[in-house]
Amino acid sequence: MSGGVDSSVAAAMLVREGYDCVGVTMKLFEDGAELPDRPCCSLDSTSDARRVAQQLGIPHYVLNMVDHFGEDVIADFVSEYARGRTPIPCVRCNTFTKFDDLVAKADAIDAPLIATGHYARVADGRLMRGVDEGKDQTYFLWGIKREVLPRLKLPVGDQTKVQTRQVARDLELPRVADKAESQEICFVPDGDYLTVLKRRLPADAPALSRGPVVTTDGTTVGEHEGFARYTIGQRKALPGGFGEPMYVVALRPEDRAVVIGTREEMMGREVRASGTNWLADAPAVGSTVGVRVRHRAPIVPGRVTARDSQSVAVTLDTPVAAITPGQSAVFYDGDVVLGGGFIE
Amino acid sequence: MPEPIYLDHAATTPVRPEVLERMAPFFDARFGNPSSTHRWGREARTALDEARERVAACIGAQPDEVCFTSGGTEADNLAILGGWRILKEGGRRAVVTSSIEHKAVLEAVHKCAREGAEERVLGVDSTGTLPMATIEAAIGDDCALASFMWVNNEIGSVQPIAHAAAHAKAHGVVFHTDAVQAFGKVDVDVRKVPFDLASISGHKIGAPKGIGAMFLRRGTPLEPLFFGGSQDRGRRPGTENVAFAVGLAVACELAASEREAIVAKYRALRDQLQAGICAGVTDAVINAGGAERAPHILNVTVPGADGESLLMALDLHGIACSGGSACQSGSTGRSHVLAAIDPSGQVGASIRMSVGPLTTDAGIARAIDVFTKLANRSRGMVAA
Repeated sequence: MSGGVDSSVAAAMLVREGYDCVGVTMKLFEDGAELPDRPCCSLDSTSDARRVAQQLGIPHYVLNMVDHFGEDVIADFVSEYARGRTPIPCVRCNTFTKFDDLVAKADAIDAPLIATGHYARVADGRLMRGVDEGKDQTYFLWGIKREVLPRLKLPVGDQTKVQTRQVARDLELPRVADKAESQEICFVPDGDYLTVLKRRLPADAPALSRGPVVTTDGTTVGEHEGFARYTIGQRKALPGGFGEPMYVVALRPEDRAVVIGTREEMMGREVRASGTNWLADAPAVGSTVGVRVRHRAPIVPGRVTARDSQSVAVTLDTPVAAITPGQSAVFYDGDVVLGGGFIE
Repeated sequence: MPEPIYLDHAATTPVRPEVLERMAPFFDARFGNPSSTHRWGREARTALDEARERVAACIGAQPDEVCFTSGGTEADNLAILGGWRILKEGGRRAVVTSSIEHKAVLEAVHKCAREGAEERVLGVDSTGTLPMATIEAAIGDDCALASFMWVNNEIGSVQPIAHAAAHAKAHGVVFHTDAVQAFGKVDVDVRKVPFDLASISGHKIGAPKGIGAMFLRRGTPLEPLFFGGSQDRGRRPGTENVAFAVGLAVACELAASEREAIVAKYRALRDQLQAGICAGVTDAVINAGGAERAPHILNVTVPGADGESLLMALDLHGIACSGGSACQSGSTGRSHVLAAIDPSGQVGASIRMSVGPLTTDAGIARAIDVFTKLANRSRGMVAA
């Protein structure tokens, strides 16, 4: 329970259905006091979660996951940027923290089920997209262990966010019903991830040091102040004067280069993902799957061209923008999540 | 679920009915401000003076040597910071304390260090006790102030306060003891032990939260933390909390008069709990087990178990105890006290159980039963 509307309503719905619930809030990092408006981990949101649990008449605990979260999520976030990739910490948090470490805590209190406020559904041991198309969070959930699926309860996944807020009001949870929501990364204040990197990387780290901006034909057209400031598809903070819009199309840590190109050069059809995890039977080579390469990007069809135990390659039917190393490629069969991996 | 069992008396205790009853008139007809000259004021002033006398009598002190505070934390801060800020003028720069103090002491000492003190934080032995040799080596003529707790709040170890205070006195060092967990459990008497400053807290002995007292031996220099009126001789300005001062006095008198009886009772209950847990959880480690311990505290480590999960499971099974030091969010972190007695950091669940007025033989029996079951089954479930 983060203290937000989704997990509060999830808990309330389960209590209403008669489940014997235990509320937990995960303390994930130590910056809570400095970041009073964080969606979770701040004292205020923890207090909100505690108050909701009290109102629902269920026990509530704050679990200290700071060490594991720091290693599994924050350290990885930093090292990914350091090697020219654009990480999604929420995937690793779900994979390692929420649906692994937290499952161990659930085991310790004999709790057979784990519930969260995610917009996704579980049916017949399969993970499926949430009913609210705009809120669907399956993009972040592909990494959880398949055997955890039968233990998952995702009560808000069957409704829209608007309905969730209405349920909050109906269940008399005004404290959370109209809370603003944040799409930010919880441990990154004000979207300023560079501050996080600067605090954790050496001052002379290549990712934060000056390097060349080059075009795809190798011409140096300018300088930048660190490739960690860039992500594939970005247009801002690039040299001008090209007659057509230019985008970041690659980051090359080996020579610190930010490579820019035209929109056409930024588009791609080949998706290679490693660290794959399958929540259903892995798709056969030659089969067609739906592919999403970025949160909220459209799901586009593609053909599996290669697959081994840890990776998969897919050729999309039509090119998509900004296939970005470090982001996830998530594979779907209709609404069903087949699995996913990290884009290489 | 059967009635939950409260085994966290070192955290806080319920207000005793006798205390509540004697406080009640001061929320009602006797509401006056002790500084007022009229009859309401006089009445309140009399009650406050009496309360001060009675608290003083409980520790063998003079009434003017007792200063009411908002609790143990304020008493610790007032004693340490208030002492240091005057003493530093005399040229002594060192402030000495131990690594197992309550945060109220440790953070106050750190604050002294930020104000120019040389901070000396002394280590303890593996039983959680300060060796006299360590104390003697650290407290010398360059020291302004030393502060050691009498009874450790997490593991119950009793520190050699009589020796430490005498050694400090011999070197002209002002000596403070945090007696929050000690008062009512050990003989805290200013005529027998030469400490200069001491802190006590009401809610550990059946008075409400929000009241405590600092003992200040006559002649000990002190700068106030607050500035305002002349209440409490200017040592602690602000309209006095008469009702709570009365409550503290009643609780102190009860604690002092009952001390020998409850020490025997609590020790028997604690030892019963300890024996039962050691029999059921064969590899359980009793922290400070080899030390002289206060009678009410038991701190046990279950090797290979996850403390957070075990605490949660115990609570869900109706056993309320504590682990580590609670932080503001309510999560627990690694205890600095256990880290001090075992720097290698044994992986395990450390649980503090503390007996008190709500503890019964039947409760102890059930706590043993539940603890044994949960501790034994929690092993092997530590997240890798």
